[in-house]
Amino acid sequence: MGNLVEIDHLTVSFRSKRRASLFRSGPSLKALDDVSLTIGEKETFGLTGETGSGKSTLAKVLVGLYKPTSGTVRLLGRKIDYKKRKDIAFLRQNVGIVFQDPVRSLNPSLTVKEVISEALIASKSVPKKDYDERIDFVNKLVGVTKDLLPRRPRELSGGQRQRISLARALVVPKKLLVLDEPTSALDVSIQAQVLNTLKKLKSELDMSYLFITHDINVIKFVSHRLGVLFYGRLVEIGDTRTVDTEPKHPYTQSLISHVLTLKKAQLQETVVSEHRPAPSGCRYRIVCPAAFDRCAAVPPWVNLGNGHLASCFLYDHSSSRENQALLPTAAATGGDLRVPPHEPL
Amino acid sequence: MLTINDLTIDFVSVDGRVRILKGVSLNAKKGEVVGIVGESGSGKTTLGLAILGLLDSPPTEIVSGRIVFEGKDLLKLKGDEMEKIHGTGINMVFQEPLDSLNPVYTVESQIGEALKVERKRGNSTMVPESDEESRRVITDLLRNLCIDKPEEVLERYPHELSGGMRQRVAISISTIEKPRLMISDEPTTGLDAYVQNRILGMFSAQIKSGGTVLYITHDLTIASQICDRIYIMYAGRVMEAGETRGVLQNPLHPYTSTLVASVPQGFEDAPPLAVQLGEPPDLRHLPDGCKFNPRCPYLKDICKKEEPRLEEVSAGRYTACWRVDKANGKFS
Repeated sequence: MGNLVEIDHLTVSFRSKRRASLFRSGPSLKALDDVSLTIGEKETFGLTGETGSGKSTLAKVLVGLYKPTSGTVRLLGRKIDYKKRKDIAFLRQNVGIVFQDPVRSLNPSLTVKEVISEALIASKSVPKKDYDERIDFVNKLVGVTKDLLPRRPRELSGGQRQRISLARALVVPKKLLVLDEPTSALDVSIQAQVLNTLKKLKSELDMSYLFITHDINVIKFVSHRLGVLFYGRLVEIGDTRTVDTEPKHPYTQSLISHVLTLKKAQLQETVVSEHRPAPSGCRYRIVCPAAFDRCAAVPPWVNLGNGHLASCFLYDHSSSRENQALLPTAAATGGDLRVPPHEPL
Repeated sequence: MLTINDLTIDFVSVDGRVRILKGVSLNAKKGEVVGIVGESGSGKTTLGLAILGLLDSPPTEIVSGRIVFEGKDLLKLKGDEMEKIHGTGINMVFQEPLDSLNPVYTVESQIGEALKVERKRGNSTMVPESDEESRRVITDLLRNLCIDKPEEVLERYPHELSGGMRQRVAISISTIEKPRLMISDEPTTGLDAYVQNRILGMFSAQIKSGGTVLYITHDLTIASQICDRIYIMYAGRVMEAGETRGVLQNPLHPYTSTLVASVPQGFEDAPPLAVQLGEPPDLRHLPDGCKFNPRCPYLKDICKKEEPRLEEVSAGRYTACWRVDKANGKFS
């Protein structure tokens, strides 16, 4: 399985519009900080995290709605230059997106048929005479019936609207489909139907998915591999089954233990405190029960085997534990942990 | 403490009359968490609003039924009598806290307002006399909800808070008055696992202090965690009711089965979810007979002709389905 998408050290920061003074711009916020991941061909990559962790920012970078501040995105081996129109067009030719809110993502003044064919007109890759055939084809796949075509989005239910978003994304053949919380606005029985459709489609259309959701039950059910974001940083990545059954990063462990299922009673009486990200080093260290002095530095990626990676010092045995005790704390060195431990005991 | 009998509510508009609740009966005992589970259009929110007397008439019209709370028929109460029950008697937490909080007042003044009402009524134990004391009470309250730096949050307006925090502020306003019955309408929808846990933890605390909770949700996983008994609603009707564990482990109504099957289980290689196709019903064009019949896999002739009544099939277990033998609760 080759890699369809390669994201390397991607950082996206947003500058606050409120300026500090006339000559100084406002503080900037890193929505994504040094994120690297790959999505293989025919693979579903699940991305999860809390609200504000940067999940949707990544989705928008992949369709060219946001530009990376630094880092690179490669699609089919081609490095995307976000300043070149040609590259953005290439991106959009190959990557489709379905947004969370099926109400706001469809133009209310167009009929269903116009919404879907607009994507064909914009892409220019399908000859005009084949439009109807193509629309028929994708509508059958996603379950949009013919009687819906002349209607407008407001006349449709949430599930129908989300199917139309899906049809619009797929009407031009795509390599990657980005699904940004595609089912969280839907009723549970509709969500189940859409999830079934998505899984069936993937095997029929040879596509990869980037599936973004905060619902762990959903992401487990759809994805081969899983990445966990915490305030803009990936903390753990690996095979879904492995990450779910043996989470390594303390944040992933805590996240997975909070997922409610039907089977066991698990509501935790001890209430978790608010998650405040640390400004530097490991972002999770303020709330992390296992935090120790080394966490003030940015943790390295530790390979735990079979593509399971965690960004946590707990598993980093490159320097021995004795040395760790000698490491100067961040406070003592003014936040710089690169000072070698050469002080005598 | 709460008994609803055969409640039927219509929505009347120029286009005609739509029945949004039909023959709903429900009861909740003291200290119990009762779940009302259903999808959009099942009438669960209408039911909550009806108990509080918040339905506008017109357009809604209560056709029949009784809502008895602590021996009083709420539907017969006059405006000011109902007002006395609001707050300490029955209180409701709504789904979208941004809509239930006042956007132009700070968190402090909104929680403070609830305290002032309490003082006027003279029936709360935590009534502060001065502004400073009130501030201290509010800060403690927020701290109990695991809000970091409550002093800062006090000064903020609802739009400056995150969704989870807003919901906790809204809940704290409702809990100040220690209502004997708390109705909560999807308070955790759209919030992530952590915040959900925090909020659900608060409900557990509420129950331990002796209150009764009516928990409205579409999420069976939440219902399975906190509810003692659940009512499954579809198209304004109760389809199945009983003790939570029994209903979820051994669903009698095919709609309950579909809801249970909708919860994603397993990993990528798992089989498709065994959900019945179809959309939630359009209340204007309901089918004859059982309202679930267009989606039902066990369709029989009688299902299209006559609507099954909700009947007790075993102790405390009710279902409205022709497939279930009323005598022994088995499938026929």
